[in-house]
This record gives sequence, C-alpha cells and structure tokens, in this order.
Amino acid sequence: MKRLKPFAYREPKTLREAIRILVGEGPRAATLAGGTDLLVRMKQGVVTPSLLVNLKRIKGLDRIQRPKAGGLSIGTLSTIAALERSALVAKRYPVLAQAAGFLGSPSIRQLATLGGNVGRSSPAADMVPSLVVLKASVIAEGASGKREIPLDTFFKGPGQNALAPAEIITAIVVPDAAPSSGAAYVRLGRREGMDCALVGVAASLTLDGAGSVAEARLAMASCGPVPLRARGAEAFLSGGGLAEERLREAARLAAGETSPISDMRACADYRREMVEVLAYRALAAAVQTDRKAR
Amino acid sequence: MKKPIELTVNDELMQVEVEPQTTLLELIRDGLHLTGTKEGCGMGDCGTCIVLVDGKPVNSCLMLAADARGRSVTTIEGLAKGAELHPLQQSFIDQGAVQCGFCSPAMILSAKALLDEDPHPTEETIKRALSGVLCRCGSYKKIIAAVQAASPKES
Repeated sequence: MKRLKPFAYREPKTLREAIRILVGEGPRAATLAGGTDLLVRMKQGVVTPSLLVNLKRIKGLDRIQRPKAGGLSIGTLSTIAALERSALVAKRYPVLAQAAGFLGSPSIRQLATLGGNVGRSSPAADMVPSLVVLKASVIAEGASGKREIPLDTFFKGPGQNALAPAEIITAIVVPDAAPSSGAAYVRLGRREGMDCALVGVAASLTLDGAGSVAEARLAMASCGPVPLRARGAEAFLSGGGLAEERLREAARLAAGETSPISDMRACADYRREMVEVLAYRALAAAVQTDRKAR
Repeated sequence: MKKPIELTVNDELMQVEVEPQTTLLELIRDGLHLTGTKEGCGMGDCGTCIVLVDGKPVNSCLMLAADARGRSVTTIEGLAKGAELHPLQQSFIDQGAVQCGFCSPAMILSAKALLDEDPHPTEETIKRALSGVLCRCGSYKKIIAAVQAASPKES
C-alpha cells in the first residue's frame, strides 16, 4: 500500500493558533485542506513537510455566503462539490458551478477545496480562470494581519504565489457582477473525467446600454507558467459589438498571447490552436448566459 | 503518536486509534479488515478506494483517518442487510456487470450515492457520477446498465 511517511501533525482550533504554529515551525510546515494534491505529492516524496497543520478543525472556514456589502465570500475550506451544489453560486455566479463540475471527479470534488485549488497555484487549476474573470481576490491572514490580494496578481509561477510564509488563505471573495454581463468556462482534457485541463478558457463580457462591450475579460489555464489573462484580446473587444467575426478575431489574439508548454498531454502548438477554438466558444457562451440573464 | 478517534463505520459506532499519517483506506483495510475497499493507484486517480463519508463518495486513499472523526463511513460491506443484497449489488450480478470485480465496490458505492440523490438519473448523469472510477476490464456498458436497472421503479 502507498503509505504516507510519518509526520508531525497539529489540528489547531483557531486561525490565530494555526498562524502561530506556522510561524514557529518555519517554511517547511505545510497546511492541509482537502489533501487531494498535498497528500499525493507527499506519497510521491515530492514534498516532505516537517509539520502538517490541518485546518479542518477551525470553524467557519467552509462558509459560502453573501456579505452585507454584496458579492460572494467563499471560505477557503469550501469543497468544490459544495460550489457545484450551492444555490447561491448557481444563481449569481453560474460560471463557478460550471468550472467546479470540470475538476477531478465527484469523489475528488467532495474532498478538494477552493483554497487548495488556488493555493496550490498550478497553472492548470480549473477554478482559477473563472475566478479571474469575475475579479476575485484572495483574503490572506498571517501574523501581521489580514490583507486582500487580487487574484490576477496572486500567481508568481508554477506552484508559486504571493502568500508570505505562515500566511493562510481564509477566503476567496468575488464582487457583484455588473448588471448586463455573462461569463462562461470551457475546457479541454484528454478525457472528460479525472484529468487536469489541457487548456481551459474563461470569458466574461459586460455590455453598456447600447449593447457594445464595456468590459471583456479572458483568462486561460494551462497556457503559461501562471493562469494568464489575454489582455490584448480584452482590449480589442472593448468598445465594439458582439459580431461573430469580432469574437473570432479576439480568440485568435488570445491564442497569440499564450506561452504553453509541451508535455505528455499535448504539445504547445496544439494547445495554442485549442486556445483559439476554446476562447471563441467561451466568448460565445458568455454572450448566451448574458442573454439568458436578461 | 496514536490518537483515539470516534467514528461510525457501517452503522456501528466505534473508537479506534490512528497515527496522523494513517489514511482512511489504511484504517478500513488494515485496521478494520474490511477488505472490500481496494487500493489501486493510491494517488486518487483510479477511484477503487472510494467509500461513502456521510453519504458522499470520497477517495479514502486521500483522506486522513483523523479527518473521519465524528463522520459516518459506509463501505461495500455495509450495504447488504443480512443475507439480502442491496438492489445495486443484485443488479450488478443480474446484469453481469462484474468481470474481475476490483472496481465493483467503488462503482456500486458511487452509484448508491447517485441514486440516493437522484433515483432516476439519465445515462449521462450516471456516466458523470461514475467518472472517478476506472474499470480496467472495460465493463462500463454493463455497469451503466446495472445502475439503470437498479433505479427504483415508478409506482
């Protein structure tokens, strides 16, 4: 049986206690949320934390709620399955429920958490492109207090992010979507279940009163060292209409803004071509969700 | 260092001692000798270690036993009522949905979680619900048929 090597282990009951333990232990400590990624890498020997700090005994970190100020606050320990099922998410941010349905398998989604998917900072993370187009931020807490980090500046490289040592993601917050807007996530894997994104593209479109694009956002998974935004394509779409050829041109621009790698799942050229296909589909689907909303 | 935890396994409340690194899968197989739950890859890819925790399927190879504290775990051994098989178990036999049988416990438990929530799923819904379990014999067609046949009849 594939076993985990023995490790030191703590189950703090408060966030403050967790942070104190992490500060005391130093950089080789790891925080445990869902475990679907960390425990695999520990079994493989890729990571060997000196201490595992299990966050699951801290109450309230799995809440999905609408703060008084509006928007959505998703506690770091919210499972992907909970996002998939949440009526609040389905009503206000259907793209997040859609993205949740792509991650792993039903049994993985039951364990995996949103904080883990963001904190792992894999360029292939399925939840991230949709969160980026929704302008989400990471709420992080450490010894020196709480801060908010916009998600599109959070990622620093494969597996690397803006968290300081001993800082913990406590929630992901999403602002209210603009009245006339829609978003969609489209992704491609080698098979439909249990595979990480070969390419994933999320798009959001906000229209002005005249029906032109007031704001467009495109974010892509597995297209570079971090989840990428296609800023050139976004700028191109701004101020124009929703004609098919404009969406196709934006998709072509988006493909040109990627720097994918070649690996066992696909070569870089194929990924780039698929970005063009998927970006168009995501934009077209975002238009549809907007029409449905009105 | 071993720590005592309390949990329910197949409707039986029990106290067990677990090390921090003990996975739920190790507790079930090595500690409780419930060997119907299998280890395939041990990495969360094959799904043969799936058990139900509070009625939902999870990969027991990726869950620490310590996190099962206070939860209710159902393994394949918990489905039959005495000599009477669960309708899904009987359906897998009737439909010949078992070849080597290694994935069957996980398939049946995943299907149970689905039917408990959605008694009349479409074929597409069944496929999605079973997408986390690999059958290397390739019995998927008969497995899907067995789940469909086990869906309670409209009365």
